[in-house]
Amino acid sequence: MRHIWARAVVAVAAAVVVSSAAVAQTPQSQAKPAKSPWVYYPLDTITGDGGPAPKRDLSGTWAGPGSTDAIPRGAAAEKPSLTPLGQQVMGQHKPIGRYGPAGTNDPTARYCDPLGFPLNFIYQNRAMSVATMPNRVVFLLQFGGFWREVWTDGRPLPAKVGGDDRDSLDPTYMGYSVGHWEDDYNFVIDTTGLDERTWLLRDGTPHSVMARVQERWTRVDHNTMKVAMTIDDPKMFTRPFSLGTYYYRWVPNQKINEWLCVPSETLKYLQEQGDPAGSYPDAEPQRLGGGGRGR
Amino acid sequence: MRLRVRALVPMFAAVLALGTPLAAHHGDAAYAATPMEMKGCVVTEFDWMNPHSLIKFDYRTATGEVQHWTMEIGSPPSMTLLGWSRTTLRAGDVITAYVYQARSGVQVGRTNKVILADGTVLADRDDSTPSRYGTTEAPK
Repeated sequence: MRHIWARAVVAVAAAVVVSSAAVAQTPQSQAKPAKSPWVYYPLDTITGDGGPAPKRDLSGTWAGPGSTDAIPRGAAAEKPSLTPLGQQVMGQHKPIGRYGPAGTNDPTARYCDPLGFPLNFIYQNRAMSVATMPNRVVFLLQFGGFWREVWTDGRPLPAKVGGDDRDSLDPTYMGYSVGHWEDDYNFVIDTTGLDERTWLLRDGTPHSVMARVQERWTRVDHNTMKVAMTIDDPKMFTRPFSLGTYYYRWVPNQKINEWLCVPSETLKYLQEQGDPAGSYPDAEPQRLGGGGRGR
Repeated sequence: MRLRVRALVPMFAAVLALGTPLAAHHGDAAYAATPMEMKGCVVTEFDWMNPHSLIKFDYRTATGEVQHWTMEIGSPPSMTLLGWSRTTLRAGDVITAYVYQARSGVQVGRTNKVILADGTVLADRDDSTPSRYGTTEAPK
C-alpha cells in the first residue's frame, strides 16, 4: 500500500515538473517562432560596426531610411531658393501631402510613374543592393525594381543634355552618372540628364534636365555607409543646396524583398479609397496613420 | 510640491505637442480628426498591396442597417514593422475597427487601429520612434 502511495506521489511530482516545464517553454516558443529561411525579416538588423570598412567598395545589400528604427538618422534636405521659373513650375504641382491621393498630380502617386533619381533615393529607398562591375557601380533599388549605372572608367559627364542635337543625351529617369573614388572610403558621383517629368522632392519641387546632382558616399565601417547629396540647377534654384544625408546599414543575411508600384493596385486603391475620400487642400494638415516606425 | 511639478510635466508636454505643426505626410486632411468605434465588423476582403493596403468589412448599425466599409492602412513595408502581414485578416474575421471617416461622408476611412477577435491590437501608426526624415516627407 505504501508503495502505491509513494508511486502516486512520484507520478504527481513528475507531472508537475513536466507541466511546469511546458508552461515555461510555451511563452518562449511563442515569442520566438522558428524563422523561415526564405522569408525576409526587416526587423532583423545588424549590430556593431562589423569591422573596418573595405577599401573602395560599396558592394552588398543595404537597409536604408525608413526600413527600421535601427537606421541612424541623417539630415533633411534644405529648403531651396527657387528662381521665377522654379516657382512657376512648382506652382503647377499639387503634392499629395496637401492635396491627398484624390487631388494630387504627383505622377508616381496617380500613375505609378518612376520616382526617378534623386527622389527614389531621398524619399523611398528602404533597401538596395550595390554591385561593382569593372567599369561601373550599379545600384539595384528595392522600390520599383529599378537599377542605376554609375560609370567609373573615367569618362566625363555628357556636354550636351536634352537638346535637339543628334549627339545630345536623351534625358532619363535615373540620369547619366559618373563616379570616382576620392580616397579609399569616399565615392563621389555626378549626375545629369534627369527627366523633367520627375519631381525633385515629394513636395513638388521641380528640377531641370540640366540639373547636376552630386553624391558623396562614405563607407563608414563594414556595416555602415552614408550619402550626402547636393544639387546645382541654376534654371530652377538661385543657389546650390543640400538634398540631405542618409544612412544605410548592412542587411544581415543580404536578402531583401520585392517592392513594386503596381499600376493595377494603385488604380484599385485610388478607385476604392483615395478618390472617394476627396481632396481638401485648404484643410488643416494632419497625419493620422501610415506606419511610423523608423520612418 | 513635487507632486504638482510631476503633474505639470505631462501638461507641458501636451502643450508642446499641440504647438508642433503636423506635417501633411499622407493627405490625411481628407479624414475626420477623431476615430469612430465600430464593433462586430465582419471582414469581407483584405488587400495587402501598395500604395496602401485596404480592409473591407460589413458593419451593422444600431438600426440594423448593414454598411460596407473600406479603410486603408499603410504600405506593406510600413505595416510589417508594426506587426501586420498578408495573413493578418481573412474574410469572415470579426474585428473592432477604429476609423477616421472621410470628410466627404462616404464609407471609407483611414485606420486608427483594429482589435482582432483574440484581443490583439494592431495600429496604423507608431510614434515611439522619431522620423529619420526631419522635416521632409516620410515614406508611406
